[in-house]
Amino acid sequence: MKLRNSRVITAAAIGSVLLLSLAACRGSDTGSEGGGGGEAAGDDTITIGVLATDTGNLAFGMDAAKEAINAVLKAEGDTIGGKKLEFVYEGTDGTSSSAQTKVKKLVENDGVDIVLGPVSGDEGETVTQYALTVPDVTFVNGSASPVSQTLEGATNFFRFHGDSAMWMGGVGDYAYNEKGYKKIYGVAEDYSFPYDNAGGFFSEFCAAGGDLTGFSWVPVGTTDYATIISQIPRDVDAVYVGLGGADAASFLSQAVTNGLTKPLVGGSIAVDPTALGGDANIRDAAIGTITGGPVPGSGYDTPEWNQFLTEIPTPNIFSLLYYNSFKSLYLGLKATDGELGDGQETLRDALKSLDWDSPTGNITLDKNNQGIVDNFITEVQANDDGTLGTVTISEDKGVKQGTTVYDRFESCPS
Amino acid sequence: MSTLPNKGEPITTTPSSPASKRRPILWVRNRWVLVGLVVAFAVLFPWLVDRPRFWIPNIGIRTLWLGTIAMSLVFLNKYVGLLSLAQVTFAGIAAYGVGYFSVTLGLPYLLSIPIGILIGTLAGFLVALIAVRTKAIYFLMITLAIGQVFFSYASQAIEVTGARRGLSPILREDYGFVDFRTLEVFYYAALLAVVLLYLLCHYLANTSFGFALQGIRDSPDRMAALGYRVNRYRVAAVTFAAFVASVGGMILVFDRSQVDPDVVSLGSTLDVLIAAVVGGVGSLGGVFLGAVVLALLDNFAQDFTERYQTLTGVIFIVVLLFAPAGLAGVGGQVTRAIRKRRDRAAPPPPEHQEPQAPVPAESAIQKGNQQ
Repeated sequence: MKLRNSRVITAAAIGSVLLLSLAACRGSDTGSEGGGGGEAAGDDTITIGVLATDTGNLAFGMDAAKEAINAVLKAEGDTIGGKKLEFVYEGTDGTSSSAQTKVKKLVENDGVDIVLGPVSGDEGETVTQYALTVPDVTFVNGSASPVSQTLEGATNFFRFHGDSAMWMGGVGDYAYNEKGYKKIYGVAEDYSFPYDNAGGFFSEFCAAGGDLTGFSWVPVGTTDYATIISQIPRDVDAVYVGLGGADAASFLSQAVTNGLTKPLVGGSIAVDPTALGGDANIRDAAIGTITGGPVPGSGYDTPEWNQFLTEIPTPNIFSLLYYNSFKSLYLGLKATDGELGDGQETLRDALKSLDWDSPTGNITLDKNNQGIVDNFITEVQANDDGTLGTVTISEDKGVKQGTTVYDRFESCPS
Repeated sequence: MSTLPNKGEPITTTPSSPASKRRPILWVRNRWVLVGLVVAFAVLFPWLVDRPRFWIPNIGIRTLWLGTIAMSLVFLNKYVGLLSLAQVTFAGIAAYGVGYFSVTLGLPYLLSIPIGILIGTLAGFLVALIAVRTKAIYFLMITLAIGQVFFSYASQAIEVTGARRGLSPILREDYGFVDFRTLEVFYYAALLAVVLLYLLCHYLANTSFGFALQGIRDSPDRMAALGYRVNRYRVAAVTFAAFVASVGGMILVFDRSQVDPDVVSLGSTLDVLIAAVVGGVGSLGGVFLGAVVLALLDNFAQDFTERYQTLTGVIFIVVLLFAPAGLAGVGGQVTRAIRKRRDRAAPPPPEHQEPQAPVPAESAIQKGNQQ
């Protein structure tokens, strides 16, 4: 093939004009960004698109979401005001690109009225950005917890649980005033969730008078913590561990073998069953670790929580947060008798004025559609059967969201 | 058609045999008509779908950027014989370039877009300086390693890349005479860029530079003996492929409105490799077929099975087994199968034929080499 420059330029020019003309015609037909859902839903159905992880290291998110939704439907029924609730499930791998693809499919192709989800923080920020472009669809967050999600100005986005900074609400005060920790060194994974989670703890701890002496941010998947443990100053009173899953288990195990005797303050996912059940040798390091989060430990005893345990006997953080989120949506729909209203305003007004006692305490919304919720301070203790578990130390009621979106920090966050 | 002689026999050919009289297969003869039809379909695509706000971004635009990055991989593989797994990295670096200069430094997109493409291309040049000293599996491994190094950097360099949060929002703009915020305008602009890149790849492959690259692919030692500076040609080819990938990165970043480490992850690299292999690593246009298949699987495989990634893997294996040249090579396979069947069914040639004049051995060897 031999192309002359002039022919290429001419072809390109003609092609450009034709394409842009076509685009203008098509654009006038469909309008630009900002369509809405509801195309697939008939008058007698309300379609809810559920976004949850079913691949990758959070693959159990989808099962947890389904378990939570089914529990609510079993107790309350799947019809509201004569309208049947229908569900379209889309699985993601926990990444922002996957969430972006799937949420567009739910809204634009499946025509759902409401989106429930997603699971992870990376997905959450993407879904919120997308929510801004489709104002006619209502979004109810699943379990994603970045601080920024409800500060973006998306009036169609609702979150009925705390953000990752709120999950450490009360722990900073407790560590300083009750445990007597004055100086703390931090170790955490290097991504957005631990930034906010650690930021929530240290902002409170430092405000109480405590000091952050230094911080090691490590990549997710780090297996060797010996070097980091050796860097921890001798004069600190405790070590903050903002690690999760296998990373937390590795750290706890190596803390024992490397002779780290300092007490630990865990991030919200540091002492989950994966970490506590991973290695029998972590016992010495783990016992006494305090942490904060939306899930109470043993000893929490309210009628709502006990009822919840009959519906979901072994809840995890995702099933609990999806339960609270979907139940909130369900109660909102029930309040309007299944009417969404023009631009779904009726439903949104109902959601904004919700005030109900969830399994983990009272839930209301602030002006940014962010939940004002209770938070739990827990401590790792040995169970009677020798296994490790968490026990509820105290409940911090009515925790409100701050306005700081945290990034990586090395000293007390401002 | 040449035949290998027994030792001592003169080399003969039968130039008038039925096989030599055959015209090239239909779609090779009418390749440009086929390309035209595909482009026409792509142009009409927004008009043919019932839900353009889903189909244009999730299938159309995704196919364009995935196919463009895969095309850069195929260009290197087809014409230089190098399999690079860093093409996604170059696209990502270009995307990060736009994000950094526009989101962090506040430059207008009209400036940050060419800067982003330049940075992606420059990255290709620098990687090539190291990587072209290796070949085959070592080239593949070094490009994969460089890609993973950049992924780690992007995940941690919070001041530059925003770490896991990435850089956002990277929004399309209205320039008065053209409104890129409209999906259709963006789609057509991306399509135009892709068509021009496709033509550019073809054009380049048929210049003396392209022939030199193909010579290097077939026999680098012989080309070096002829005076060609083999590594310089390879560096130039990798740099050009990085430019193509960078343009793909531009389409990607404005499609997603953000750039984060997922863009340059191993998963994204595998997506591009799968698109290239399913489409056909020997076909510049075929990769877009592979990209369409991958985009459709990403969106619809879950409607059929919960194990949708397994389904993608199974389809990948089936294509490798039954269409080693990719979907773009299926037409050729079918034609060959039909001809083989016809040849079998045809009556055998008469036993006594006029002997054909032997073709000089030199000519036959030359033909054999060409084949």
